[in-house]
Amino acid sequence: MDFFHSVVMGFQVALQPVNLSFCFVGVLIGTLVGVLPGLGPVAAISLLLPTTFHVAPVSAIIMLAGIYYGAMYGGSTTSILVNIPGEAASVVTCLDGYQMARKGRAGPALGIAAFGSFIAGTIGVIGLMLIAPPLAEMALKFGPPEYFSLMILGLTVLTFLASGPMWKALLMAAFGLFLGSMGMDTMTGATRFTFGVIELTDGVGLVPVVMGLFGVSEVLLNVEQSMDRTIFETKIKNLLPTLKDWADSFWAIIRGTVIGFFLGVLPGGGAVISSFVSYAVEKRVSKHPEKFGTGVIQGVAGPESANNAATGGAFIPLLTLGIPANSVMAILLGALMIHGMQPGPLLVKEQPGLFWGVVTSMYLGNAMLLVLNLPLIGLWVKILKVPYPILFPLILLFCLIGAYSLNNSLIEVLIMVIFGVIGYLFKKFDYEAAPLVLALVLGPMLEAALRRSLLLSAGDPLIFLTRPISAVLMLVALFLLCYPLVPWLRKKRAVLPKGEAND
Amino acid sequence: MFKINNDQASAVLWLALGTLIALASTRYGLGTLDSPGTGFMPFLAGIAITLFAFIGLVHATLKQREGIGWKPTMQGRFWKKALIVLVALFAYVLILKPLGFFLGTALFIGFLLRAVQPQRWSVVVAGAIATAFGAFGIFEIWLKAQLPRGPWGF
Repeated sequence: MDFFHSVVMGFQVALQPVNLSFCFVGVLIGTLVGVLPGLGPVAAISLLLPTTFHVAPVSAIIMLAGIYYGAMYGGSTTSILVNIPGEAASVVTCLDGYQMARKGRAGPALGIAAFGSFIAGTIGVIGLMLIAPPLAEMALKFGPPEYFSLMILGLTVLTFLASGPMWKALLMAAFGLFLGSMGMDTMTGATRFTFGVIELTDGVGLVPVVMGLFGVSEVLLNVEQSMDRTIFETKIKNLLPTLKDWADSFWAIIRGTVIGFFLGVLPGGGAVISSFVSYAVEKRVSKHPEKFGTGVIQGVAGPESANNAATGGAFIPLLTLGIPANSVMAILLGALMIHGMQPGPLLVKEQPGLFWGVVTSMYLGNAMLLVLNLPLIGLWVKILKVPYPILFPLILLFCLIGAYSLNNSLIEVLIMVIFGVIGYLFKKFDYEAAPLVLALVLGPMLEAALRRSLLLSAGDPLIFLTRPISAVLMLVALFLLCYPLVPWLRKKRAVLPKGEAND
Repeated sequence: MFKINNDQASAVLWLALGTLIALASTRYGLGTLDSPGTGFMPFLAGIAITLFAFIGLVHATLKQREGIGWKPTMQGRFWKKALIVLVALFAYVLILKPLGFFLGTALFIGFLLRAVQPQRWSVVVAGAIATAFGAFGIFEIWLKAQLPRGPWGF
């Protein structure tokens, strides 16, 4: 009864005209950044974060969340029509989606991507509603050692699932922890590694770092390549999938939803990884795996469902434990904190309007996306035709203004540009930025939990292994760390294509 | 000729950086295990960077012995365009305060439109002015962001 009461209250919040309009703006912008290659949800949310400072927290989070799941919808359009994924979670959709378009079946491919996304997104939100409150209750029993171990596990999972050698991902996480430790020591008030720059007293800002690593570096990489792109000229017709298409896709959508949701919940998992796993599963269960890559509808339906279900799942650790599951959630964590909210087990109880309002807005957002996407596909194609040499100065300008307006400081802009160069070099040398970003966000929390735990135990590090929940989390993390060292297991470790494991 | 590969080069840099961070952290005081000091966390991070960089160096050296050498990172790329963009970004940071948002932005956009993949002058001028107006309208007037003003008040 309590649950239904909460849902009704959530809808009352989400259906307020102001929140409805923020939800609409969020999903619209999300779809747009999903469509545009080179501007992902991480950069877009960072960019728009300062614009939400003057609005109510619930409206701000509704809009920022809308950008995230909206981008998952939009990303499929470019994958199918241009063979260029609008964002990383739609990379795998290119394989069969583009082939379907070449065979004159762009309509059903876009249609099933939209319907699959809608179904999976909605089921993901239901899962979030059912799992989050009891998990928050359980998390109330967590003390500093449990939080520390959970964050270590989250970082380990992300480094484990990252592309390329694990040492690089672990190194990135360690560098992120260092960046997170810059600025004021919250326990003593002393400053460290500020180099006399006042702006660094509060630490290195997440937004300039993320916009540099994901926005500016992406532009630098894009401009040094050929900037011509061709859109596959085809008449898009029959957007509604046929009965046969539905029959072929039904189980792919269900499997994709389940995979996406649970991988989304896992700290370090997320939309990108779940889309790859879903594609691999579809290929494995198919009677004709050899046809994958030639335009099979399951190859579109599964991954597109998975990446949308993952967005719902990813909110669970953020809203119940205060731990972001991926880079996007890390920025949303920052957004909640800027608005005076403390994500964690008490959020559901202390801010029920915000929690249930945001969750129920996702239902409405998913419905808006379905209505938006299908009729507006023609418009998205037109936007795709804007030449990149004209588009990239605008992307850079948005990044510059976004970084500046955080604190009206040019130092933040400079930090963003420097991290743009660092991100560019990371990509040249095959280092992945996602573990760095997650560690940067978790760093201060991790440090506080570590130091409090050591104070609690009078300096005995075994406290992490003597408390049952903490011990289990630590052992899982240790297992994942040792996994690549065992040769016969190492061969089974799935390796994602370069640069695709960041959300 | 002895040729290192990309991972060896980057691992050596990380090794140096990690060591530097760990050493610098000691200046802030490491404290004790039952009362960790301000330098404790960055010290741990520095040690971790050094350790993983060392593992990476060993890994990369083994790969080098298998024949994996230097992979060119700039070959076949128009890297000068990336450099132009970078120079423009740094220049924008420098000119924004003295020239103000409107003029600084118009020059920034105009330069990028003309210098990276040259557009017609009409596109450059119209694009630069329209973008500066649009961005000023959205951020300064609508969203009430306080953008830098030049000597002429905008």
